[in-house]
This record gives sequence, C-alpha cells and structure tokens, in this order.
Amino acid sequence: MTLAVKAAGVHKRLGSTHALAGVSLDLGDGITGLLGPNGAGKTTLMRVLATVLAPDSGSVRLLGHDPADREARPVIRRRLGYMPQEPGFHQRFTAFEFVDYVAILKEMTARRERHDEVRRVLDLVGLGDVAQQRIKALSGGMRRRVALAQALLGDPRLVILDEPTAGLDPEQRLRFRELISRLAQDRSVLISTHQTEDVAALCHHVVVLRDGETVFAGAPRELAEVARDRVWLADERSAGAELSWLTGDGRHRHVGNAPPAHAELVEPTLEDGYLLLVGRGSLAVAA
Amino acid sequence: MSASLAAGLSDEKLLAAVAGGDRQALRVLYERHAPWLTLRLARRCADADAVSDAVQDTFVVVWKSAARYQGGGAVGAWMWGIAIRRLIDALRRRPRREFHSSERIDVEPSAEEQVLLGVEHGDLAGALDRLSSELRAVVQATILDGLTSREASRLLGIPTGTVKTRAMRARIQLRKEMA
Amino acid sequence: MSPHVQSELLAAYAGGEIEGARAYSIEAHVVECADCQAAVARLVEPARMQRGWADIEDRLDTPRPAAIEAALGRLGVPGHLARLLAATPSLSVSWLGAVTVALAFAVIAAHESERGLLLFLCVAALLPLAGVAAAFGRGLDPVFEIAVAAPFSSVRLLLLRTAAVLPTTIALAGIAALTLPGVGWTAAAWLLPSLGLTVMSLALATYVAPSRAFGGVTAGWLAIVVFSAIDAGDRLAAFDSGAQVAFVVVALGGGIVLALRQDHLDLGRTL
Repeated sequence: MTLAVKAAGVHKRLGSTHALAGVSLDLGDGITGLLGPNGAGKTTLMRVLATVLAPDSGSVRLLGHDPADREARPVIRRRLGYMPQEPGFHQRFTAFEFVDYVAILKEMTARRERHDEVRRVLDLVGLGDVAQQRIKALSGGMRRRVALAQALLGDPRLVILDEPTAGLDPEQRLRFRELISRLAQDRSVLISTHQTEDVAALCHHVVVLRDGETVFAGAPRELAEVARDRVWLADERSAGAELSWLTGDGRHRHVGNAPPAHAELVEPTLEDGYLLLVGRGSLAVAA
Repeated sequence: MSASLAAGLSDEKLLAAVAGGDRQALRVLYERHAPWLTLRLARRCADADAVSDAVQDTFVVVWKSAARYQGGGAVGAWMWGIAIRRLIDALRRRPRREFHSSERIDVEPSAEEQVLLGVEHGDLAGALDRLSSELRAVVQATILDGLTSREASRLLGIPTGTVKTRAMRARIQLRKEMA
Repeated sequence: MSPHVQSELLAAYAGGEIEGARAYSIEAHVVECADCQAAVARLVEPARMQRGWADIEDRLDTPRPAAIEAALGRLGVPGHLARLLAATPSLSVSWLGAVTVALAFAVIAAHESERGLLLFLCVAALLPLAGVAAAFGRGLDPVFEIAVAAPFSSVRLLLLRTAAVLPTTIALAGIAALTLPGVGWTAAAWLLPSLGLTVMSLALATYVAPSRAFGGVTAGWLAIVVFSAIDAGDRLAAFDSGAQVAFVVVALGGGIVLALRQDHLDLGRTL
C-alpha cells in the first residue's frame, strides 16, 4: 500500500534561516499530527508537501509522484487539499463565492456539479446557513472553516491542514475533530497544531519538529512515554526541572530529565513528552 | 423557520417570511403553487423546457420581489401574472413555432360540468369550443390570462395585428352565437 | 366563489384531457382555491418538482456575476474562466478607476506642455505593464498559496489574466489619448512601447523573479527615456520611429522567448 507521503532528508533555506534541516517523514492513511514550537519549520514543511515550495535538497514523493517533475505536479494537486495557516481571501467574496473560486482552480468546470460540491463542503463544516455572507463579515473561527471547506473540495486523498483549530472555541474544535476523524478513512491527513489535546484525541501518529529537525516520530502513547519517570508534582517549585508550572489545583507540575530523589512521580501525558523534547528555550504557550 | 411551522401558514404570511429572506418559506410556496402553475403554463406552450424555465424564473422573481406584493387579491393570481410573463420571456429567448391549443372533438358537457360552468344550456361554453383553435388561443391569452395584445403576440408567436384581428373575429362569432 | 372541482375532473385536467372552456373554468377556480391547489400538487410527479426546486436553490445560491464577468461572458469566455478572471485585481473597479484618474492627470499635463506630453506617453506605456505585474503580485492576490497548490496551471492563469488586462488598460489609455491636443502619430506613440515592455518583462520573468523583471524593465526604460531626451535634445526621443521599430523587434523576440519558456513562470516554487 503506497504511502501518501515519503520524504527524506529535506532541506530548505528561507533567506538566512535553515528552516528545514534534513526532515524525514512518512505518512500513511489516517491522521498524523505535526507538533513543534513556532519557528520549528512546520509551516515550511507543509508548504513543501503541498507542492507550494520546492525543497533545496532531499527526496519527496507525494501520492507516488515526484513534485519536482513539472508534469507530475497537476496530478498530485488534483488529489491534494491544502489549508494554509493564513489563507488570504478576496474580502468582497461571499463564503460561497470563495469556495466556488477555489473549486474552479481545482478544475471543476461544470457549473451545476461544482455548485453542488461547494454546498456539500460548506455544509460539512457547518457553514451552510452563512454561505451567502461576505467573508469580511464572518468571525475568525468561521473564516477558518471556510478555509477548511476549500481544502475538502473534490474529496482529496491527501489533506494538509496548517493550524486548522487556531481561533476555534472548544465546541467548534470538538466538531472539527469529529469531522476530521470521519474523513480519515482511506485518506491521509496531516495536521499541524499547538494543541496537544487535538493530537491526543485524533492522531494515531505524531511527528515533533524542533529547529527544522524531526525529534520524534511515533504513536502518541510513545510520545507520552518519553516523559516516563520524568514528570512530578510538588507543592513548591523545585530545581532541576526543564519546565514547571502551577496547575489548577494549586500544585506545581514539573517536567525534567533529573527529578529530585523523592519526587512524587506521575503518569506522563503526551504534552509532557512534547515539552520535554522541545525544551524550555522554544516553549510554545502550554495552554 | 421549520418546515412544519411553514406548512401551516397562509400564503400571505409565507410571502412576508420570504421577503425577510426565509428560504424554507419559499420552498413551501413552491410546493403549493409550482404544480398548478406548471400545468396551466403547459396548456399555453408545448415546449416543456420553456415551461420549467418559466416556473423556475417565477420563483426566483418571487424571492426577489416578495416585499413588493401588496396583498389583497390572491397570491395565486399574483404568481400567475408573474409566471405567464416569465413564460413569454422564456419563449422570446428561444427559437419558436406558432402554438395552437390542441384540437378536441367536441363532446357535450356532462351535467356536472355544466353546473361547474354555471351555465344552463352550455351556451357560452359551447360557443367557445366551437371557435377555431387559433381564435380560442387568442381568447385564452387576452381574456383568461389577462395579457395585452403585445404580450399575447409574443406568447403565441404571431404579429400583434393578427392578435387584434383574431380577437375581433372571436368576439363577432361569439356574439352571433349568443344572440 | 366557483364550486369546487371534483377530483376526477382535476385528474383529467392534470392529464391534459380537458380543453377549451371547461379548462378555463377549472383554471379560473384553481388559481384562488388552496384545496384544489393542494389536490393538483398531489397529482404532479414529485421527482420533477424536486428537481425544479434544486434548480431554483442553485439559482439563488449562484453568485451574481460582477460586471466584468458578464462582459467576458458576452465575449464568449466560458463561465468558469470568466469567474477566475473577474477576480483579477487589475480588472477590479477600484484599479480601473485609479488607472482612469492617473490617465486624466497625465492628459491635463499633456495639455500644458511638451514635458506633460512626455509624462503622458510614459504613463500610458507603463500602465498596461503595471496591470500585468499586479496579476502576478503575491501581495495583491490573497489566494496565492491555495492557488499554487491547485491543479489549474498558474502559468495559464497568469497568461489569461494578462490577455484580459492588456486590452482593457490599452483601451483606456487609447481613449485618453484621443483627448490629447493635436492628434497625429504622437498620440499613439506609447502603444508599441507598452506592448514591447510588457512582453519583455514577461519573458524576463521566465529567468528571474517577476518583481525584478517588471521593476528592472521599468527602471531601465525610464532611464533610457531620460538619457535619450537629454542626449538628442528632443524630449520625445525615446518615442521616435526608430524606437517604435525597436519595440516591434523586442515584442516579437520577447514573445518567442515567452512562448518557449512559459513553464518557467511557475513562480510558486520560488516563494
């Protein structure tokens, strides 16, 4: 069974930054989460996988084709859905018009079928009632959903979503999770996110990037295991921790490689494993 | 509004809802009126595509101009006025051939039909039916459907002058029969 | 008012079996009777009515074409392409408005002095170029990233946009030129340069980044305009017959390069 994505040793410089420094990634069916702090290279990697950026070196195979081959690119793009981190919109478009525009770019020339498909994806993301409103007038969360809808046009085989849940409230995020897990059958979905709960709930495979390199690839359970015996609670802040924070019940949770001798060790979560890997220096908001 | 709620409302109330952008209300109006409008239009035009276009156009117009419905006078009649004019429009956009209302072997109306027509001995009904199909088509367009000569000429695909001549001949013949 | 119509009669009417005066009578009744309307509704095939409703919904959902899109449609451009082109920034009302204003000022200047005429000629020559450059602009086309990731060839989109923007801008400049004082060849002296500069920039954009191509060609040509004016002592030297011929050559040559190398315009890869 062909992997949707096979990438090895991908390098990409953007200006003076070495955004990707030899990233390797294999994506099969189902949902894969891409975690990493800001600047880790997630968006750059996603752009490369969405055929928007050409890597400087390394091998990339998408849906069995090489995107460096000019002829292969439309073939890949026909079965690809991409939701950028900051999608631009023609402000004067309505949600319907925007998705319709993208549908034309996805080569849906027959008007009636195209409109049916546009309605289908807008309904899928719960925007059926506001389809005729201008994007300008929609809230940030709704705009994200419009961007998500266009990524689902044409039922793509490979779906790449860059921070799809940013700006969504918990109820919307739950709805989004339901939507994505339904989609994941017979499809490869790659989601980048800061929300470790999304990853824990949705993904069967996780990849962690730091400074343009892969520091972890495996099951969510295994990511949690990275922090086995390295997470402890205490009433006060203790030394020797990479990170510590005050939890809701008034105690301090610590994550570190050298727990003190009689520390009260606790079950590690996926987030603990992630924090341990990316370290204090590049900490994203641990919310 | 919900489908069940809409189903119980009067046409006027539904129109008011449509004016406020309620698509469900339009749908109910469509379900109520599109069938009889389609049948009635089909009796004026053999081109089935023109008829369905006209019905579609009618409801798009209803959607856009629901606020302009003045009330008083049945919603049905208002819709028919829109529909027949949309049919004329649809026909104008197509290549045409002249339409005749089809011939029928005359059958004496049943007692029930006579009561229906409010006519005792079938005077007017019979006289109408004895008109040739071309004359009857003109009578239908100008009297029953309330079209102007110009509109009737467009619907039937004949010059305006011919409409007027035929209307006059029909009147003469009917008056002669009824006298 | 009229007595109710029996259901068999209605069924016969629905089946097209009733004609003439009897049909009129039925129709006159049905138009105002809700019960009979409902009875007729039961007699007509529901699938057909459903299809009709789906068509109506689609009509209501379908975005109203912008003026540009309708105009393109009338010119025979297929609907989906017209939609794409209508979203071109340099075909928007605001852009075209700005172009008109710029031309108006240039025309006024041209009426004042020969220097003003030179200004007009430069503006008229460069506006089409600016319009085409805007069609490339990442900054001006917000949907850029999504567009690159889509199968529709970005090159084709760019060239389609160029084909739409050029005639539009040239037409506007042409109209403005008609209002110049003392017509004659000078009034059209900007046309060949505008075509030549645009084609040359596009050809160059197959080698370097578009912004550099357009910027470089503009700067380079303006420099030539200034130097040739000083050198020859004639303000309009850069528009003389020699220059016109040169631009024909440039346009043809650039056109060939562009045709051969158009795939190199796939700029997404150089983000």
